[in-house]
Amino acid sequence: MMGWLHPGLILILGAFLIPLFKGKAKQAYLLIPPAAALIDVILIYAGVFGDIPFSTWQIPFLGYELVFGRVDKLSLLFGLVFTLATFYLVLYALRVESSSDHMTQFIYVGSALGAVFAGDLITLYIFWELMAIASMLIIWLGRTENAHQAGFRYIMWHITGGVILLAGIIMYIGATGSIAFNVLNWGSGSAYLPSMLIFIGFIINAAVPPLHAWLPDAYPESTVAGTVFLTIFTTKTAVYALARGFAGFEVLIVLGAIMTVYPIFFAVLANDLRKVLSYSLINQVGFMLCGIGIGTTLALNGAVSHAFANIIFEGLLFMCVGSVLFRTGTSRCTDLGGLYKTMPLTCIFTFVGAASISAFPFFAGFVTKSMVISAAAAGNMALVWVLLQLASAGVFHHAGIKVPFFTFFAKDSGLRPKDPPVNMLLGMGIAAFLSIFIGVNPNSLYHILPYAVDFAPYTAPHMISQLQLLLFASLAFFLLITSGLYPPEQRKIILDTDWPLRVAAGKVMWFIEDPLMSFAAWVDGGLKRIAADFAFFGQEKEERVLIGVSVMLALIFLAFYLIVELVYRAIAH
Amino acid sequence: MTTMEVILLSVIAILGFVGYVLLNFGAKEPRHPHGDLFLGIYSFAIIVTVVVGLLIQWPIEFRWEELPVFYGIYGFAACVFLIYVAKALRFWLPRDEDYYEKRGGRLE
Repeated sequence: MMGWLHPGLILILGAFLIPLFKGKAKQAYLLIPPAAALIDVILIYAGVFGDIPFSTWQIPFLGYELVFGRVDKLSLLFGLVFTLATFYLVLYALRVESSSDHMTQFIYVGSALGAVFAGDLITLYIFWELMAIASMLIIWLGRTENAHQAGFRYIMWHITGGVILLAGIIMYIGATGSIAFNVLNWGSGSAYLPSMLIFIGFIINAAVPPLHAWLPDAYPESTVAGTVFLTIFTTKTAVYALARGFAGFEVLIVLGAIMTVYPIFFAVLANDLRKVLSYSLINQVGFMLCGIGIGTTLALNGAVSHAFANIIFEGLLFMCVGSVLFRTGTSRCTDLGGLYKTMPLTCIFTFVGAASISAFPFFAGFVTKSMVISAAAAGNMALVWVLLQLASAGVFHHAGIKVPFFTFFAKDSGLRPKDPPVNMLLGMGIAAFLSIFIGVNPNSLYHILPYAVDFAPYTAPHMISQLQLLLFASLAFFLLITSGLYPPEQRKIILDTDWPLRVAAGKVMWFIEDPLMSFAAWVDGGLKRIAADFAFFGQEKEERVLIGVSVMLALIFLAFYLIVELVYRAIAH
Repeated sequence: MTTMEVILLSVIAILGFVGYVLLNFGAKEPRHPHGDLFLGIYSFAIIVTVVVGLLIQWPIEFRWEELPVFYGIYGFAACVFLIYVAKALRFWLPRDEDYYEKRGGRLE
């Protein structure tokens, strides 16, 4: 058996060769690293299991051995879907000329794979941060002022999350003496706080409200293909990390249930379709976190299989909206409508993605999401069940109806765009095929899940209940829109939980730049004048000023020191 | 499940899907020339799911599932509820698209 090659390494090393190619050769080359990584993962499936120390690098000042390749059913499932999605996403993005776009995307996926196959917390952290930086670059490559600023806001969230995660990891290693990344020991006293810090680091990347605002803020600002990449890897890596480290942690049930419902209102209100889909992404991750929190084998299978399927159909929806943006230059509901005649294939693919995310029978979402909901019912969690079903109706409304309706029907926008180029259609076609394939043939997915599956999605009550839910939800939409009660789309943005940060941070900056700096300038000038008056000795004017300022500063420091000392003594005694 | 059941369920599911696709066409303004046909198929799909739902044996996990057509009622109510909450939030959350540029501080 050949030595194991890390699929992430193939992509990261492959990224650096991209600038060497031009034109057609570049397009041909771009497909090689993703294909190689995909074949690599399939080969691992064929035989290599267990902890594979990819390298025996010893970190001298720590003395731990890092495990770059922990291969089991859970990490392989994510590895498989990541490489699979990368292949058709690169196909979708094939005509993008700029090498930097492709390089950042390859490095981003490579680091996500690195995090998924990481067997210890230190390796996880390294790739986690690499992923944050690569994703920020992908946002910046949107090359607009908005993208630039959103990238800064994005990285501030992720650096904060990363620092919390690092603190948690260091404390956790200190408390347990082990760097291994398995189910974290949050129950025991000394490991509780570090586990919670790691948990916060994870849920920031999973976009759990109220720590989610970076996602709908930054993701829609990237390029057409960049946004599709972004929506897949950061959140799903977090889902993987939570499934690995916090399976059965009850807090996740609550967070997940809230997370499925909260973003729906914003998705209903949002005008930009990429924002609508960003909110629906948060809603979908909510189902996964809920499953992880419930923690039974059915729920965990449901959570990770939903992650698998969601990567495919959510990516498909983003690719469809991306194609519309690519052809028309806008993704706003208010500017679109009536495109079905000129973009028929994109319209069909959108329907497939929409039916999958809404969990229509014979589409991917139906066979994965229902596992989580069934697990909630099996655990007798009535409120969670009610919220998840509400969210199912909600996701159907905003992702299943709103996206295709306002893009392809609704009104005639006067736009007559063609379907996108063949490589983009192929990318969407593969994702659409997979969405239907999983839906029709669920056992193909059930076979590779981490636990044995005892779940039959295609039963009469299950199918009828789901169809009733969806058809009546669509009936409500239909009645409201024909009676004019449905709120019309507005050219507006929607405030979210980043409002205090964005506005207050702006105020802080204004305070620093305006009043504080003028005060400082006033003090500065005043000091110089006083110093000049003091400085009657010395020969040259500059020297006198210098001496005077030094004396003044020494006096100020002395006074400051005295105050601190006095305060300290007053408190100490 | 017997083969007949599988076929029957598949037909219902496909009807439901077709109904969903046609709904998107059918709600078009001005009305689609085949609007009545769309509406017919869509209504038929809804009626079939209701009738079949009344006939089959349900496994009862929660008490409210004993209510006839529970899922239909819940789906309808959920959608109306979500839209009306979103409508209410409209008084509060939407801002002009350049809101943050104006409000964000740095007035250079």
